[in-house]
Amino acid sequence: MFGPRKRKQTALRIIIVGCGKVGHTLTEQLVREGHDITVVDTDSHVLSNLNESYDVMTVSGNGASRQVLESAGLKEADMVIAVTGSDELNMLCCTIARKAGGSLSAIARVRNPDYSEELTYLRQQLGLSMIINPEMEAAREIARVIARPQALTVSAFAKGQAELVQFMIPRGNRLCGMSVMEMNNLFPFGFLACAVERDGIVTIPDGSFVLEEGDELSLLSASNDAYRIFPTIGMYAPHARTCLIIGGGRVTYYLARKLLEQKVEVRIIEQNSRRCEELTSLLPNATVIYGDGTNEELLREEGLETTDAFVPLTDVDEENILLTLYAQRVSNAKTITKINRITFNNVIDSLQLGSVVYPKYITAELIIAYVRARQNSIGSNVETLYHLFDNRVEVVEFHVEKDAPVIGIPLMELKTKDNLRIACISHNGRMIFPRGQDRIQAGDHVIIVTTHTGFGDIGDILA
Amino acid sequence: MNITTIVYILGWILRIESAFLLLPALVSACYREPASMAFLGVSALCLLTGWLLGRRKPQKLAFYAKEAYAVTALGWIVMSLFGCMPFMLTGEIPHFVDAFFEMVSGFTTTGASVVANVELLSHGTNLWRCFSHWIGGMGVLVFLLAVMPMVSGSNLNLMRAESPGPSVGKLVPRMRYTARILYCMYFALTMAEIVCLLVAGMSVFDAVCTAFGTAGTGGFGVRADSIAGYSPAIQWIVTVFMVLFGVNFNVYFLLYARHFREALRSEEVRVYLGVILAATVLITMNCFDGDLTPEHNVRNAAFQVSSIITTTGYATVDFDLWPTLSKLILVLLMFIGACAGSTGGGLKVSRFVIAAKMLIRHLRGYIHPREVRAIRFEGHDVGEDTLRSMFVYLFAAMMIFCVSVLLVSLENQDLVSTVTAVAATFNNIGPGLGTAGPTSNFAGFTVLSKLVMIFDMLAGRLEVFPMLVLLYPLSWRRTVRAERKRMARHGR
Repeated sequence: MFGPRKRKQTALRIIIVGCGKVGHTLTEQLVREGHDITVVDTDSHVLSNLNESYDVMTVSGNGASRQVLESAGLKEADMVIAVTGSDELNMLCCTIARKAGGSLSAIARVRNPDYSEELTYLRQQLGLSMIINPEMEAAREIARVIARPQALTVSAFAKGQAELVQFMIPRGNRLCGMSVMEMNNLFPFGFLACAVERDGIVTIPDGSFVLEEGDELSLLSASNDAYRIFPTIGMYAPHARTCLIIGGGRVTYYLARKLLEQKVEVRIIEQNSRRCEELTSLLPNATVIYGDGTNEELLREEGLETTDAFVPLTDVDEENILLTLYAQRVSNAKTITKINRITFNNVIDSLQLGSVVYPKYITAELIIAYVRARQNSIGSNVETLYHLFDNRVEVVEFHVEKDAPVIGIPLMELKTKDNLRIACISHNGRMIFPRGQDRIQAGDHVIIVTTHTGFGDIGDILA
Repeated sequence: MNITTIVYILGWILRIESAFLLLPALVSACYREPASMAFLGVSALCLLTGWLLGRRKPQKLAFYAKEAYAVTALGWIVMSLFGCMPFMLTGEIPHFVDAFFEMVSGFTTTGASVVANVELLSHGTNLWRCFSHWIGGMGVLVFLLAVMPMVSGSNLNLMRAESPGPSVGKLVPRMRYTARILYCMYFALTMAEIVCLLVAGMSVFDAVCTAFGTAGTGGFGVRADSIAGYSPAIQWIVTVFMVLFGVNFNVYFLLYARHFREALRSEEVRVYLGVILAATVLITMNCFDGDLTPEHNVRNAAFQVSSIITTTGYATVDFDLWPTLSKLILVLLMFIGACAGSTGGGLKVSRFVIAAKMLIRHLRGYIHPREVRAIRFEGHDVGEDTLRSMFVYLFAAMMIFCVSVLLVSLENQDLVSTVTAVAATFNNIGPGLGTAGPTSNFAGFTVLSKLVMIFDMLAGRLEVFPMLVLLYPLSWRRTVRAERKRMARHGR
């Protein structure tokens, strides 16, 4: 009779420690998914603002203190997520929560490169469920886009076996005027057209959907085949050989390391001389330039006009946007803009920045995928989750367990919800782009594309 | 101001009232009274109006503070306007201002009546008067938050606007469950009282009405002599439950959640119980009557003290005949009121405790001019924002009280009656002293005084600010609707 005892089984009680950018995004998304959220922060001002806009409880205090955690309901909590500004505090907070609380899972954000090599060790030793490094994840995503410069975003699924590529159909492309069905004849490999955005409206296309110039199309394919997508449709771009990065923060470090592994020539412009010295010792193969990255003269001198990729990664979002707009004017480089803080999504969309990376959303999505998986420990698990087109489309990867309700039924006989597509089945490591006769089997990874939100179980796809 | 949202919420409030009105309709029908048709009719009218108002669902149901405060004040007024219709339809309170006064007095849990002899009223009307206390005690918007399926996001403002106390918080992360928990505890305590009263030999109808009146700390009785005619056992039961309903409901939640130590450590409840004890002892000594048994003396004092401090307003004796010291103690208790977060009115014990601590801090400032000292209450630091808004509140309450007294004094009644009538309505108690005393009623006041007291009751129950926001012209400038019209004119 008293609310919390009787609520839906799936709602989790989650304590979020730290209410910065990521904490705020997480709160917003987890509240929308229907969880009971308590937010702990030392700044009571931030908390009262949060209280105004979301249905959450707030506790002011140090999140690593047992007493504070207990007054936030540690005893009943299912999960603690520590996303304060300090890695050490996050780890301490999770450790204490694990010791003092019941059987809860703990997620910590750890982003200092000093720990980046030992994340798995830390996770095991501290008994954490997950350690996330937003900067590393952002760098990974940027690196993927640099590898396929024609794409706006590239996301990985099924442990990297499948890739979701999002791109805009340029003028005069052979896809213009082609229906999705006809695309099958064009591509010699398996793929699925997951979603199309046209004039701000997102649809999950069926076979008769005719593509037009300016459509933003999301294609899913096996990673081995993904590199063939763009040549097939006649969008050629040279492989990126040089990359110019502005700002020498943590994302830069992780990105440069990845790019250097791929034998890309990396140039970094950083305006703090001490940080420059640190960077050269961390990344001996990169060219580190001491100077102001917003200086036109310097940018030109360092070859902005000729570089293949340009990534502004300063701490100021507005600066990044301006640098991208400038680069688009003077060079043909692939630009990728990192936006940390600002939220005017529709304005950013209208600027035509091309690829935009939001570290805070990447982090939030990773955590939410874990939360959804935690919600349904029986049946099937959410492995990865991506939001496309401003959260209007969800791409969810499930791991199907033995007793899921969809096993063994030919897909054409499955009564699924509207606006939903079973995009791809990974069976014993082999990617299948399913047809009507295919069946889902236990142990498969299934990728679903849908405009519904909040799927936590493979059974949710049934009507 | 987002008028679409306000209208939509008003629609929901009326729909809920329509459901509430079915209870008196049912009871009336059981007693075969014609009043049942009046209640049924008004219930249908509420449903229809509610449906009309709630038809257009705003795209984004966002509450900012101003909408929440305005809709709370408007909601209470609209609710009372509809709620008073049955009184006029049945002809039991024929005049509009009287009926409206009676209804506002019901919803605001004041219990000041214009009816000379309640025993002549129909059962349905009597139940509706008492039931309105129960609804108003915890608040209709809190009920709305508990049942409304679609409110999401920033609805803390709604609860803040309606619930009494310097700082309103949640018990559990989700507002909906917080509201449900509050109503569950409220319901359980009310049921407990009904059962106790039945065991003590009260009739079912009287027990339900009395329990509703106690739970909301209202004070409408079903007998002309309030509680005086019932047995001592019943009087003690009512005393205990009045005190219980004056306690901050957070404490009950702590007890439910088995945080006994925290619950017992509540400063506010300790002070509250201490004041009750001290006042009872003083009054017992002051008006000790050798003709009565000692138990009777204590009972009379305890009952009146609990009744006044929790702002219920039941009476077992005519305390207007008491010595001056006792009467003055009661008047002081009127202003102190019950705990924050309870169903009681008044200025609230917690505000007095915090204000006293402020005074001490200020005094220490003369001795150690550079001392930095935080005000702690219930084991937490009280933020400067809370302190500031608390003092603004005390000032606003004082101003409203003074202006009201001035307006009521136009009647040229004696000073005690004028001041205590306003104090009793503003603090949601019910009976004052003199012509507003426990044995008489408010029917004799002029229409102007009644309107002033209606405002006072609403301002007192909603803690001043919702009513002031509603009346503040700036709140209504640049409403969303006006904005839309402007945009349409410019062809966008």
